[in-house]
Amino acid sequence: MTTAAALPPTAVRALPRTPTWWRDATLGAAAASLVFVVALWLTGGGLSALTGAGTGVTSLGRLAGLVGSDLLLIQVLLMARVPIVERSFGQDALARAHRVVGFTSFNLVLAHILLVLVGYAALDHRNIVSETVNVVWTYPGMLLATAGFAALVMVVITSVKAARAQLRYESWHLLHLYAYLGVGLALPHQLWSGSDFVTNPLARVFWWTAWGVTAATVLAFRVGLPLLRNARHHLVVDGVVTEAPGVVSVHLRGRDLHALPVRAGQFFVFRFHDGQGWSRGNPYSLSSAPDGRTLRITVKDLGDGSRRLAGLRPGTRAFLEGPYGRLTADARTKRKVAVLAAGIGITPALSLLQETGDDAVLVYRTRKRDDPLFADELDALQRKGIRLVRLAGPRAQRPSWLPKQAAHLSDAEALHRLVPDLRERDLFICGGTDWVNAAEAAAKALPKAQVHVERFSW
Amino acid sequence: MKRIVLWFSSTATAVVLLFSFHTSTQGAAAGVRNSAAAGVVTSGGTTTVTGTSADTRYGPVQVRITVSGGQLVSATAIVYPTGGRDSEINSYAIPVLDKETVAAKSASIDSVSGATFTSQGYVQSLQSALDQAHL
Repeated sequence: MTTAAALPPTAVRALPRTPTWWRDATLGAAAASLVFVVALWLTGGGLSALTGAGTGVTSLGRLAGLVGSDLLLIQVLLMARVPIVERSFGQDALARAHRVVGFTSFNLVLAHILLVLVGYAALDHRNIVSETVNVVWTYPGMLLATAGFAALVMVVITSVKAARAQLRYESWHLLHLYAYLGVGLALPHQLWSGSDFVTNPLARVFWWTAWGVTAATVLAFRVGLPLLRNARHHLVVDGVVTEAPGVVSVHLRGRDLHALPVRAGQFFVFRFHDGQGWSRGNPYSLSSAPDGRTLRITVKDLGDGSRRLAGLRPGTRAFLEGPYGRLTADARTKRKVAVLAAGIGITPALSLLQETGDDAVLVYRTRKRDDPLFADELDALQRKGIRLVRLAGPRAQRPSWLPKQAAHLSDAEALHRLVPDLRERDLFICGGTDWVNAAEAAAKALPKAQVHVERFSW
Repeated sequence: MKRIVLWFSSTATAVVLLFSFHTSTQGAAAGVRNSAAAGVVTSGGTTTVTGTSADTRYGPVQVRITVSGGQLVSATAIVYPTGGRDSEINSYAIPVLDKETVAAKSASIDSVSGATFTSQGYVQSLQSALDQAHL
């Protein structure tokens, strides 16, 4: 087995550049859907109802319900792994947006429930408890909606940071799937009891379409596409190489890998069929540019999932989801690049640099001076003309991307000294979250479009 | 894996049970009765007049009045939207509108808060009945 870096470059199917209008179109569609539901509320007399006390509260409740459920669909779509969206925004940004939109939609749904019940109780001259019981038991679709809300409550509670820290990722993820159930069970009550839908056929068409498209998107990109890809490429472990204590590379081979639309710098979620618990996926970056025949990932022992990789036998079946990530050469706005990598963050950096041409700078931050991973490949890059700067040493006292001995310089100044022509380069930053945040702050002066970041904290 | 199967099957059971509840499959409650023919029926000293049916967002409303000795003596909605929220609103609003009509002896009555559309339909159908009765 040869290392991927030593292979001659082969024809990998070139991916078209991600058009920037994809991003605008995605944001535009989301905004349009929000405008539509507000318009729905307005045409349903939402505004004029505000003049009455009971009807006003109910009307606000309807608005909260409409916007809340639109956002509920949007946050499902954010995680649907749609290639256009993934490549336009990056999965880490999407995951953060998903969290914000998710909590917002939940708060609106909660407001919807409270406002509508208070409003109905006032209009019907009964107390809130008997009104609640009445609505849940007798209104069309309301028992389902109540169960759906309970599912959403569970998902939200387990996603609050303090609670999430108590759960294993796998358990948390399993519970999180109940969000789909929650969203789905809310649909009937909207169509059957929601006055904006009962009375407006156009609204019903919009809502069915929105729901249908969301469900189809999730099924296509989270289930269908991975199944097709795995069936076609039939990935197996080719071999496992120990790069350093606790760091292993896994080489994979498969059918027609040249047709897998992956770029250097991207990652996949991998599952290795190696026994009990194999169904848990882990995200790993490619550590060398894909050559159309093999893939290589390099993993540091960070948890039970990554430890198991050292024991993989050649021939073990591997399943992947992806590729994801936008630390790729086509994210560039300039021809030249600078890459800042820390620790195991060197893996996407290496594969990226094998693709970006020779006029590049790599700043490689490690804790110790004597553990350069991929010494051979770093040598090869240097021979090609890539400038390598090693930053080794313990952490600085303050939050910084620099080692202790360089901490007398400000973060921004150090970056400027190391890469004086940074303005003419795109900057890629790969590493753990804290380090990436510090490095990104150091590059504040650089236009945002030139800075490419992915945070690896899973 | 065992735990996942257990979770999955209990969830599926819960969903099936939920869907077996009658409000979970009935669809939008369209409890609209057919409108009666508008017209005047006289028997003895009382005349019963049925107004034309008035369409509202939530369904038709139709009012029938009774006239005796040239006086409006009673009014009642014979058709109005029911089911879900509509039943709730109208079970409260219709008696109020009936009472208001008898008191006002005309179609200039206040609409009931929270039942704007029903009130509008009621007034419209009521006016048609009053016109037929030449009141």
